[in-house]
Amino acid sequence: MTGLSSKAEEEFSGLLPADASASAKLFFEQFQRAGLPGRRVESWHYSDLRTRLRVVPPVAHAPDEAARGVARHKLGASERLRLVTIDGFFAPELSDDFSGVAGIEISSVGEAEFFGGAADPMLDLNAAFSRGGFLLEIGVGARVEPVIEIVALAGAETDRSRFGRNLIRLGAGARAAILETRDEGFAGFGDSALFIELGEDSQLDYACRCRETAGVEVQTLNVMLAARAKLRAVSLLAQTPFLRRQFFVSLGGEGAELQLSGAAILGRNDHADLTMVVHHNAPACVSRETFKYVLGDHANGVFQGKIIVPPHAQKTDGKMLCRGLLLSDDAAMSAKPELEIFADDVACGHGAAVTKLDAQQLFYLETRGVPHIEAEKILIDAFAADVFDTLASEGLRDVLRQDLSDLLGEKEPAS
Amino acid sequence: MIEIENLHVAVAGKKILDGLTLKVEDGQVAAIMGPNGSGKSTLSYVVAGRADYEVLDGSIRLDGVDILEKSPAERAAMGLFLVFQYPLEIPGVATMTFLKAALNAQRKARGEAELPTIEFMKQVRAAAAKLNISQDMLKRPVNVGFSGGEKKRMEILQMALLEPRFSILDEMDSGLDIDALKTCAEGVNALRGDGRSFLVITHYQRLLNFIPPDVVHVMSRGKIVKSGGPELALALEASGYAEYAEGAAA
Repeated sequence: MTGLSSKAEEEFSGLLPADASASAKLFFEQFQRAGLPGRRVESWHYSDLRTRLRVVPPVAHAPDEAARGVARHKLGASERLRLVTIDGFFAPELSDDFSGVAGIEISSVGEAEFFGGAADPMLDLNAAFSRGGFLLEIGVGARVEPVIEIVALAGAETDRSRFGRNLIRLGAGARAAILETRDEGFAGFGDSALFIELGEDSQLDYACRCRETAGVEVQTLNVMLAARAKLRAVSLLAQTPFLRRQFFVSLGGEGAELQLSGAAILGRNDHADLTMVVHHNAPACVSRETFKYVLGDHANGVFQGKIIVPPHAQKTDGKMLCRGLLLSDDAAMSAKPELEIFADDVACGHGAAVTKLDAQQLFYLETRGVPHIEAEKILIDAFAADVFDTLASEGLRDVLRQDLSDLLGEKEPAS
Repeated sequence: MIEIENLHVAVAGKKILDGLTLKVEDGQVAAIMGPNGSGKSTLSYVVAGRADYEVLDGSIRLDGVDILEKSPAERAAMGLFLVFQYPLEIPGVATMTFLKAALNAQRKARGEAELPTIEFMKQVRAAAAKLNISQDMLKRPVNVGFSGGEKKRMEILQMALLEPRFSILDEMDSGLDIDALKTCAEGVNALRGDGRSFLVITHYQRLLNFIPPDVVHVMSRGKIVKSGGPELALALEASGYAEYAEGAAA
């Protein structure tokens, strides 16, 4: 419990509707007890949310016609099957009709209906405020071939606080590839939660591209894998004024496998914090965490990874790697990989390294006629793009590769 | 034609080239021989445009244009090419992507259209076949896991694709067995003529058996100390470099 309440904490208190449900009030009390996390909380040391969030924008309401118009304008056309949220609310009117796709069930949820996950104040805050998310279920044994895209858009044109809360559930043996596009714009505050539950022997390829995140944004992913389930998840972050993306993963059944990867392409004053706690709760599970940061201008990259192996999780195989590429003397990278191992028959490791572009490689490319700025882009792309290779879905890989290439195309010359 | 005049160069505060003057005519193959530390590799890097080499005085002109203020990429687009003594490995960059980026960047700089992919593939395959470069090698990242000989063959492949007007071969023979040396030399010889010129830097006469030079220059202590015909290389093979090192020291 923090001492004095911050102004933002008091504002949250005023924003919670009087008719909020008992459980919402309970979660809010839990949030209040912990307070907004900041420097003094070890797991939030590098992302001082308490200092950063000074003013809480009004809570977004369910989208009206005007909001749908704003979102529709940004959405554009796509060949992918899409599920759209506006300011955190599921928007069936803008989403595709999934009724013809076998094995997929989509439903709206009111107040937070699914719980669990980590003890985290921002997850509690989300549970207190969230309304109107979706539940996406892939049925037992279903193999969904086309990539399903979740698009998170803004409807409000002024600063808002958004609390999206959604659940993706794969039944036993199901397979799917899901792309999440988070594009809610720079304005406001975001505190979203995504729950992913993978049944036995199911496999999910999940790619999230976060661009133009809110002025201050926290994204929490709660992931549970049953026996032999496989999750291959990649995050591509860019243009993040202040983003904390945190993963709480439980490998809950024997032989489950997690590939958690990501690339953050940061410039200006961007701050991106990727934090993950991977709990090996069953024997013989595999986890790989691989994250790359490209840091220009005054950007700040944070990596915190923790692999926890309790005594019964023998034959655990966990490896964590984080690499930073500094393009500017003013950019910074903080990395804190941790292992907590209580079992004796495991193979676990971690590594972290921060480098600069290799001057000799640059020169070599330039002597072949590739201009300096292009040579830099080629090397940056090579540094970051290999994290996409963990995805089995070629469709998802192609989307991310193209996005990275577009991002680098917009890049200003490194000084 | 490349003309280097009174070139003085320092690396990390230490003077390496000390008033070097050299001219290579169009269509000419010139060899530079010299002992270790005479500045041969420095010369090749300076001509290619490496940034950390400080040019104190002198000029380098390619076809009459001073290139010292030009970037390495601009020099390449003007027709300059350096065969590296130790080609760089670039993990994560596919060889074909690299070749295409290089070729198209040069075409763009010269105001030419990009080469269509099919035509590009055709040219790469044809050049690769002549150099015993397998499709598998082309699929790997640039030079990653290549043997010394494979790396050098890949350099010659790039040269064949880019068709430079002036090439510097920096100790192309180092790390090559005799068969690989022959293959690379054939690749170079295939490009001879048509006004293209070459500067072949080497310690040993052996390379010159495969790439016969028109002129031979001896370099010592950062400058050219003697020039002559191919017979000069043979004389050096017999007598070594001692006389030049001492002469320069005196």
